[in-house]
Amino acid sequence: MRKIRIYGRKEYGGCVEAEALVSPKPLQGFANCNPERGYTTERNHPLFKVPYAGKVLVYPSPRGSGGFMSYGRGQLKPAAFVHTETCPLAVACAMVAHIPSMTDFETDPMTVIETGDMVLVNADEGYIEITKKD
Amino acid sequence: MLKLTDDEKRMLQGEDGFVPQICMQYLVEVCEVAGAEKLIDLDGTGDFHTPMTSMSPFYAFPIEELKKIVDAGAHFKIPTFANKSPFYMLPPVQGWEKCNVCASGNKNCQHNDPEFHKEAMCEEWIELYRRMGMMTTHSCANYMTSTYLPTMGQHCSWNESSAVPYCNANLGARTNIDGSFATCFLGKAAYYDMHITENRYATVLVKTERTIKTDIEWDVFGFAVGEDVGVHVPVLTGTGKPTTTQIMKLNSAMNTGGAVRMYHIPGSTPEAPTLEFALNGKKPKRVTMIGEAELKRAYETLNYHTSDEVDLVYLGCPHLTIVDLMLIARKLEGKKCKIPLWIMTAPWLYDVAKNIGYLKIYEDAGAHLMTGTCPAAMGAVPAGVRNLAVDSAKQSYYITGRYPDDDNRLQVCYGSQDDCVDAALTGRWHGEWR
Repeated sequence: MRKIRIYGRKEYGGCVEAEALVSPKPLQGFANCNPERGYTTERNHPLFKVPYAGKVLVYPSPRGSGGFMSYGRGQLKPAAFVHTETCPLAVACAMVAHIPSMTDFETDPMTVIETGDMVLVNADEGYIEITKKD
Repeated sequence: MLKLTDDEKRMLQGEDGFVPQICMQYLVEVCEVAGAEKLIDLDGTGDFHTPMTSMSPFYAFPIEELKKIVDAGAHFKIPTFANKSPFYMLPPVQGWEKCNVCASGNKNCQHNDPEFHKEAMCEEWIELYRRMGMMTTHSCANYMTSTYLPTMGQHCSWNESSAVPYCNANLGARTNIDGSFATCFLGKAAYYDMHITENRYATVLVKTERTIKTDIEWDVFGFAVGEDVGVHVPVLTGTGKPTTTQIMKLNSAMNTGGAVRMYHIPGSTPEAPTLEFALNGKKPKRVTMIGEAELKRAYETLNYHTSDEVDLVYLGCPHLTIVDLMLIARKLEGKKCKIPLWIMTAPWLYDVAKNIGYLKIYEDAGAHLMTGTCPAAMGAVPAGVRNLAVDSAKQSYYITGRYPDDDNRLQVCYGSQDDCVDAALTGRWHGEWR
């Protein structure tokens, strides 16, 4: 099994391994995230109604209102966040979720991770390790 | 590595009591997550979403603790305003009597029920915040009615995505989207992102084909720019000088399509006397064109309807200024709406609109004035509404998220204020991109 390690910056600590769910588009919260159901409700979004509970949620960047933190709320939250670019929306989200969260990688994780890959997010030691699904 | 002052360390150790300690713990965590090296002392203004003492459940504390510090004379350290009406129900502050919406679609929570309204306003919390000095503006655009704005260079702590660029780009003050009890009470915020001069320069040069001039052009342009630049700071060229209404549209739309906390318009925004200055004398990392095709695509994304038969028209995202209230009154005077028209403004403008005569014009036309909230925030439109007309990219793009199921989809007609008033008077949508 092919493993790829990428170093990045810890936002919120912890270490967890889970299957990746990759959002090709930026994610948006507030009314376009339903934490009770555990999926995005943004119209036309590739992850519309795709559950993220227990997944490593991989996305390019956050967008929209402060309600982005909905992705970190409730029982159905992801196992970890991995995102290419950051802004204060992602900071608030990590603080609501208290799950491993990483950004600012040496290689863009969006170019490496596909939905279904297993991803170890070791935020404490500052890296992610991807096991390709093959 | 985070460096705290001796005073900050003392608070963190609990020597000033429980509430300063938990607030400092919260701020230390913000710094750690954000990678900030210090806290900055705020000298501007703040706002936050009431009634929560923290948006993070790990740093919220009960009302009893709040009462203790208020009774002991605690105040907010900076001038502090209330964002929208209290969470999580976000009731209309005024005009709720005719707001036939079930909060978040829950049939037991009717916004026009006096008992529900009273509970939803969270008066017990709000009264304590008032005693601490909070000015209860209850608006996403509270900067428009607060009568007190931060000045150039001041460090602030605001918490509304559509308002943050007003602070940064339009006033030249500095804020992240982090307004909270903790930042306003302690007068401190994590020093990162838009507090730091180097992060405020533009890195993306945005060009246009047409000159962006009308309100709807600014709104559609803002959405397209947001989608294009994401989290980066753009410098916008090829536009006219925006009016206040257009700035509010641009700011809210850019923070729907993207996360644009700061931007520049050379010759218009205060940190961009010239294009070169906005770019800090450097070459842009990227040049992008928001041309005719991009504008058309954004307009089509913001329209989400197959039917032209409209059930409800909503104006007021962000909450309307007095000028827009005047313009809508002018357009409605002596006319009758065929379908419900909701007009939303900031609570502090309600009596102004009443005294100046607009409220009577609205009522005579069958329109309804409310304050402090919006359909996306309340989580629903009235039962039976299947097609909503709006003049706001933000409201258009969010409200459908409340209706994700096939058997309960909501359509949205998006256009100009004129298109929306026309829809209210005729019951039909005639808007098109020009």
